[in-house]
This record gives sequence, C-alpha cells and structure tokens, in this order.
Amino acid sequence: MTRRLAALFTLGLVALGAVPGLAHHSAAMFDEKKTVTVEGVVKEFQLTNPHSWLLVDVKDKSGKVVTWGFEAEGPSTLRRAGIKPSDFTPGTKLKITGNPMKDGRPAAIWVTAVRADGREFNPRAGFAVK
Amino acid sequence: MTRRTRLALAAAALCCVAGAAACTPPQQQAAPAPAPAAPEPPKAPASKIPNRSKDQNVELGRKHKTAWELYQALKLEAGGGSSLTPATMPDWSGVYSRPAEKNFTFDPDLPAGVLTTAKLTPAYQKRLEKRVADVKRGIEWDPISTCAPPGHPRWLTEPFLREFVPTPNQTWLINEMVNDIRRVYTDGREHTPEADRIPLYDGDSIGFWDGDKLVIHTNALMAGIYQRSNPDYTEKVETVEIWRKTDPNTMSVDVWVYDPPALAEPWYVRQVYGKLSDPDKALRIGYWNCAENQNNSVFQTPDGTTQFKGFTFDPNAGSAAPATPAAAPAPDAPKQ
Repeated sequence: MTRRLAALFTLGLVALGAVPGLAHHSAAMFDEKKTVTVEGVVKEFQLTNPHSWLLVDVKDKSGKVVTWGFEAEGPSTLRRAGIKPSDFTPGTKLKITGNPMKDGRPAAIWVTAVRADGREFNPRAGFAVK
Repeated sequence: MTRRTRLALAAAALCCVAGAAACTPPQQQAAPAPAPAAPEPPKAPASKIPNRSKDQNVELGRKHKTAWELYQALKLEAGGGSSLTPATMPDWSGVYSRPAEKNFTFDPDLPAGVLTTAKLTPAYQKRLEKRVADVKRGIEWDPISTCAPPGHPRWLTEPFLREFVPTPNQTWLINEMVNDIRRVYTDGREHTPEADRIPLYDGDSIGFWDGDKLVIHTNALMAGIYQRSNPDYTEKVETVEIWRKTDPNTMSVDVWVYDPPALAEPWYVRQVYGKLSDPDKALRIGYWNCAENQNNSVFQTPDGTTQFKGFTFDPNAGSAAPATPAAAPAPDAPKQ
C-alpha cells in the first residue's frame, strides 16, 4: 500500500521555515522535509485536543477511496488561524498539503488547505500573537 | 436679552405648542456647567523593586546562592511587599499567548545556532547534546506525549491560550493546555514544610506584591525538560519570577531558575506573553481532554522515538502499535 500511495500522490521536497512543531508529541514520525498534496472531499473534521484531525477521502484512478488524516493543533489554535468547524463540513472539496508520515501511512501534518472556492487555510497561523 | 436667549425662548415656545412631553424652558443666562471631574481610580502603591536590564538580572541571580535567598532579597528591597485590595489590583484581563517566533525555546533570546544559554553542569550538558543529536537522526520523545502536564518551569513556554487572574490573596496563572492552573498564594502563608513536601507538576508557589509587580517563589517541583531540544531540570529546581504588565498588551516575566545538579549557575530568562486581539469574542478556553481522540495516541518505540498507535481512519493501522502500550522510558527520559 505504501508504494501505491506514494505513486498516487505528488511528493515534493520542500524545506520548511522555523515554525512550531506539534505541541503534545514530537513530529519525529513525519518527514518535515517532504510534502504531499492530495485532492478530495472532507469525510470528518475532528476538532479535538491536543490535536485536531481533518479526514479527507481521496479517490485513486481505479476509483478506490483512501481516507487521509491531516493533523493540526487543537480547536482554539485553529480558531486563532481562522479555521472553524463550519469551514470543513463533510463533502467539502479541497486540495490539501502536508508533511507525510515516514512509514507511508496515509497521514500528514496539515500545512495548508485550499477549498474549491479558493479560500486557503493554514493552521500554523494560529500560533501568531496578534 | 441676547439674540441667543431670544432664539432659545422661541424654540421652547414652539416645543410647548407642539405638545412635546419634555418641554423645559431654558434658564436665563444658562452657561454649560463644567462636568465634575471623575474621581481618580485607586492605584496600587508604587513598586520599589527597580526594572532591571537583562544583564543586571543575570548578575542579580549570580549574587544569590539559592532561589530562596534571591526571593528574600527582593522582599527586603520591596519593604516586605504591598497590601493590595480588589480596587488596586492590576488589570491583567484578556487572553494571552506566547509569541510564535519564540518557538519552543525556554530562553526566547536564544541566538540561532546556539544549543542553550543555560550554564549546564557537564553531565547535563552531555544529556542535552545527546538529545539534540538524537533529534537530528529522527529520534525524539516528549514526556508530555502521555498527556502529562508540562509542569513548571516548562509551563512558561507552551504556546496556547493563557489567562492571568490576580486577586489580593491568590493569583491564578492559567494555561489552556491540560487545564493547567498555577496558584500563587500572597496571603502571607509559608511553603509546605520541607518534611511534608511532595513533588508537584506546578510546585508550591508563594509570593508578594510590590506595587503592580507579583514576585513568586516556587519549590516542590518535579523533574522535567524545559522544552523539546532543551535541557533537563531536576526535582531540586526552584524558581523566582517577577510578573508585571509592561504595556496594555504585554505581560513580562523575569525568571531565575536555580537547579544545582543541572545548572552551574542560575539561569535568567525573560518571558513575554502578548494579549490576543479578539474583536468578536471568539477566543474561549474550553476543557482540554488530552485523551479524547484515539488518533492522537502515541507510544515510545524501542529505539526511543515517537510513533502513533494506529489511526481510526486507516484500515491497515495498528501494525505500528506496541505489544504493551507503556513503553520503557528512554535512557535520558526525565522522571515525571
């Protein structure tokens, strides 16, 4: 499955700037030097502490659906980033980019998401003090 | 009769003809009375402890052998401290957070490329070097991954919502993360007697007010790490803090850490928390249940790093989960 997923999605080597990692656990299981971008529809938005998960159903060429999980900070940090539960209701179409798991499982740190209406959402903006 | 008064009387007459309910003839020669001056709100007594530079605070820490000695010296400087009332408490209201650019470093002024500004003892310097080297090869475990609270002094570094609630006899320093509240007693009580102390995540904090500054001494702490890729502290750690509001949107905290097993000399840092703008009143601190989502559950692998136990959304998940969820602590994991 790992190889198939790797073939399905675009992997880019992108060096990230200095931003806070995930606050409750290390991000050692993710490859923060790589990004993965997928397109799909929201299955569920789990707004929970200490981390939220945006679950996205992604269809491959054969029509098989794989659910990806994108991890971000908890509800209040997302709120500071302007991300609300109503922004990602089930069925919302989006293109989402994250730092993938090193072991190839379909999960990533959510870096940025762009909805079909063009609006972009960056969870890490929630750490800004303004 | 002046032209102005004639006009006013004419207007009043028209008003009465129209049957207006609030029809009051103007007073002759009415001059606008000056508004009574609002009484000055009561203020806290002036602070006696001077605002020192960073270098002066570093030196002040070195002058005192223990955190308790420093605390007593500050209390002497403050003339024993001030008595505040509800009316003279400083206004620390609002929701704050630690600036993002400070990242996860205990010393916000850590220069780029420098491991730490702490003067560590050789053993703890080695532990830090190993920790950072491990991270570079992808090995990292954070003790709070078990959902334990960060504990003080690490408490100072977490990047979430905060509220600070001063009252004359007790101040609550609130960090949203795991509903973490430090209570600082300023009612004159002493610390728990040494024979009866137990290690606590946030320790035992007593303090006094010096005008609008809150001076705190904390002991009875647990061992921990200052942050990821930062040094360890031991159960001997004690801190002195001076909290004050430096402008309408900024809380500033001078922190001296004493920890003889790990620190060769006291470590002084200045922490800053910025007030968040919240025009639509959307920022609220909710209950933080760290274990509410199974997808956040992690374990420590045999090689000492972090791994997810498995995802609810991945039918192939679970293969990485340990046979026994409680992994053995890494050789350098602090006791918590």
